[in-house]
Amino acid sequence: MPYTYLRRHAPFWISILVGILLWEIAGRSTSTAFMVPFSETIRTLWHLIKSGEFIRQLMESAKLFLSGFVLALIVGMPLGMLLARVRVLRVGIEPYVMILYATPMVALIPFILSLMGFGFAPKVLVVFLFAVFPVLYNTVEGARSIKPEMIEVAKSFRSSEWSLWREVMVPYTLPYTMTGVRQSIGRALVGMIAAEFFLSSTGLGQLIMTASQNFDTGGVFASIFVIGLIGVGLMRLGLKIEQHFAHWRQ
Amino acid sequence: MSETALSVAPAATPAKSSRLNARFYDTFLPRLVVGVFILTLWEVVVRLLAPAYVAKPSTVAMAIPKVIVDPAFLKATGVTLAAVAEGLAVALVLGTVIGLVMGRSAALERAIRHYVNGFYAIPMIVVLPLFSLWFGYSGATRIATIIFAAVFSIIINVADGARAVPRDYLEVARSFRSNRINVLFGIVLPSSMPYLLAGIRLAAGRALIGAVVAEFFISVGGLGYFILYNSRTYHHNEAFVGVLLLAAFGVGFEMLVAWVTRRFLPWYRRDEKAG
Repeated sequence: MPYTYLRRHAPFWISILVGILLWEIAGRSTSTAFMVPFSETIRTLWHLIKSGEFIRQLMESAKLFLSGFVLALIVGMPLGMLLARVRVLRVGIEPYVMILYATPMVALIPFILSLMGFGFAPKVLVVFLFAVFPVLYNTVEGARSIKPEMIEVAKSFRSSEWSLWREVMVPYTLPYTMTGVRQSIGRALVGMIAAEFFLSSTGLGQLIMTASQNFDTGGVFASIFVIGLIGVGLMRLGLKIEQHFAHWRQ
Repeated sequence: MSETALSVAPAATPAKSSRLNARFYDTFLPRLVVGVFILTLWEVVVRLLAPAYVAKPSTVAMAIPKVIVDPAFLKATGVTLAAVAEGLAVALVLGTVIGLVMGRSAALERAIRHYVNGFYAIPMIVVLPLFSLWFGYSGATRIATIIFAAVFSIIINVADGARAVPRDYLEVARSFRSNRINVLFGIVLPSSMPYLLAGIRLAAGRALIGAVVAEFFISVGGLGYFILYNSRTYHHNEAFVGVLLLAAFGVGFEMLVAWVTRRFLPWYRRDEKAG
């Protein structure tokens, strides 16, 4: 058992170790204003954690991320399902959803700033705008994949509206919605950092900004490292969710 | 469908026009209604609730003819587009080569897969403070951000495509004693073209975001900075024309890639849904 574990995971750990080693060497052989070695990054991170600063900022960011993301799900999923059921609505709204899905939402941040100022609400709006369209777009896409015959058959067996939703609409669109949810997680994270950079500075975004304004390269590296880990973790979570529902589709 | 239309040639004209009619009521009309509804709602809400400088459809429409001949706007658009094109070109070459090699070499794939996925998962804008430290407050930071934003999605997609090359092709090549470079660029690359296109489509969107974000962050001239500057000086209508242009680029590129896929890779049907 440990042998097979080792064989399967050895390449992963070797590549991680080599990466850390390269980072360390590169960091030590260049100026500290340019790059900071791995050991220094971890030390800075440890100081940030011990002072309580890091946890406080992390919580601040988590609050923003979850508010915007959950709001996007609450709006995106039912709206997407409704569009799935009411064909004329779907046909009408589809191109606009597609346009907004392809629009870089960051461009709206200056408008949000000058209209809503520096509170918590405008930042939630930014995360929401980043996150909602992938959910909506993919749910509508899923709705298009339902064959009309399915609904006709359900209807000719006198299925009620409720059971039509429960047996046909939801099971068929949910796997697509979950693809949207995965994309939304990544976009909401970008939205969160963008909001923290360009609106009022809080959370992990503020951590990076402060470090970079003080030319504290160690602090910049430590924050980017942590946000990178969070990004990878959330991406994995998203893939897990998507695969779970993709499996359930079959 | 076309065969039946041929066999009843005299009836074709009315049938065609009724089909067009059906299409009008079926798709075009709902779209028009929704579009008019959205614009009206926006106009009314802004007129009733928001200060006069806030962008609304009527004033944005009036601003369009003025803005699109404004040399500052044209220059900003040109600068941003050139940067996106340059960054995308670098990311394309780099991403294709790394992706092809990664997809065909198990050892390299094991060595760098986690890094590629990891960098892809990092929200690209967190590297901005670091890049501005490295490259200064100049166009170089913008190019670097665009490349960083674009390259990983190309690598991932090309590697997926290179892995999915049918084994038969490779065996035939081997039995004709084709060398590795020829196999890579003569067989693996063309065969993973659809994946490459999917990667470019993703990368282009991310590159555009990267350019705008970099311009916001380091205040270097371009379309993103045009939007930022005009909205700060309460020229919201002019700024919104910039947003419309960005949206047009986003949508335009999606359509271009879809068209290229249909036109040049008609054998590829992964994207198309049944029914």
